Amino acid sequence: RALVQALLCTLRAVPSPATRALPAEALAAGGGAVRTLRTRPALLSVSKFTEKREWITTESDTGTVGISNFAQEALPEVGTKLNKQDEFGALERVKAAREVTEINEVLAENPGLVNKSCYEDGWLIKMTLSIPFRTKDLMSEEAYEKYIKSIEE
Amino acid sequence: MRQPAVRLVRLGRVPYAELLGLQDRWLRRLQAEPGTEAPSGTEAGALLLCEPAGPVYTAGLRGGLTPEETARLRALGAEVRVTGRGGLATFHGPGQLLCHPVLDLRRLGLRLRMHVAALEACAVRLCELQGLQGARARSPPYTGVWLGDRKICAIGVRCGRHITSHGLALNCSTDLTWFEHIVPCGLVGTGVTSLSKELQRHVTVDEVMPPFLVAFKEIYKCTLISEDSPN
Repeated sequence: RALVQALLCTLRAVPSPATRALPAEALAAGGGAVRTLRTRPALLSVSKFTEKREWITTESDTGTVGISNFAQEALPEVGTKLNKQDEFGALERVKAAREVTEINEVLAENPGLVNKSCYEDGWLIKMTLSIPFRTKDLMSEEAYEKYIKSIEE
Repeated sequence: MRQPAVRLVRLGRVPYAELLGLQDRWLRRLQAEPGTEAPSGTEAGALLLCEPAGPVYTAGLRGGLTPEETARLRALGAEVRVTGRGGLATFHGPGQLLCHPVLDLRRLGLRLRMHVAALEACAVRLCELQGLQGARARSPPYTGVWLGDRKICAIGVRCGRHITSHGLALNCSTDLTWFEHIVPCGLVGTGVTSLSKELQRHVTVDEVMPPFLVAFKEIYKCTLISEDSPN
C-alpha cells in the first residue's frame, strides 16, 4: 500500500488537466528496447518506452499506462518500508505524453488491484499523447519496424 | 526539468545543395568526439529549414529513379540527386517547406521510430493549425502525411549512429505538376496535394513557418535556439 501511495503521490505531482498542458511524466523504467505486446489484442502497444515493465494502450490520442505482470510480480511486498532514496523505476519524461488526464484513484484504496489486474483495473494513469498512434493495425507496426531497420546504421 | 535545446537554422530560399552541405557539416559536428567540434552539452542538434530555390528530384536508399528517368527529368530543367534517406523518388522545389532535423536521438531520449512518428505529428499538427482537419500519417510503404488519398507531406529519414538527417517536405504552394513526371514515392495512382490546393488560397512557406516551429517545439519537447544567440 505504501508503495502504491508513493507512486500515486509522485504522479499527482504532475500538473492537473486544469493547468497549462506541460510535458507529462509517466512511470518508466528508462531506455532499453521495448517489445510490442502481441499476445493480448487489447494491449496493442505501439509506442516503445521501456523494457518489459510497463504497457501503454492507445486510442488515437489517449494513452493508458500500467505495469506488466512481470513488473507487478517484482513489486516489494506490502509493508516493505521505503527509504527516501528508493526509486520505483525512474520517472522519465515520456516524449509522446502531452498531459496526464487521470490517475487511478481506486488504487489508493485498493493497491492490490495492481497485482490482481495489472492489465485492466490496475492501470496507473491516463494521458493525452502529442504523437498520435494508430493501434488498429499490427501489420503497420511491422512495416514500420522494417522501415526503421532499412534506414538505420 | 530542463528541456533539451535544438539550434534553429533558417536558410530561407536556397538551392537544395546548400541544405545538403549544411546538413553534412552538422552531421560531422554531432558525430565528432566530445572535446573537439561537439556542440555544448545542452544542444541536441539542429533544425534545418529551407525552401528549395529550384526544382530537384531525389531518389532514396531504395533507389527510385532509373538512368532513363534521370535523363528525362534533367531535360525538364530539374536537378536529380541520390540521397541516403529512406524512401523512393520525390520532388523538392519552390513553395515547399523542407525540414531536416539533424538530431542526436540519445540527447532527446528518442528512439528512431518515435522520431519518425514525431515528424509525422509535426505535419499533421501544422495542417490542423492551418485549418485542415483530417490529415493523417500512414505507415510504410505509404510513409508520409495524407489528406484522403492525396499526400501533402513526404517523409524520408536517415539515421547513422543515433544521428538523424533528412526529414520532411511539406507542400505549401508547390507547383504540383512537377510530380506528374515521377511516380511519387513509388506509389502508382496516388495523388499529391498542397496547403494552397486544399485551402484554395496561396499559402507560402513563410506563412507556415511560425506555426510549424510551434508544433515542432511542442512535439519534440525542446526549445529552439536561434543561430545568432550565443552558444
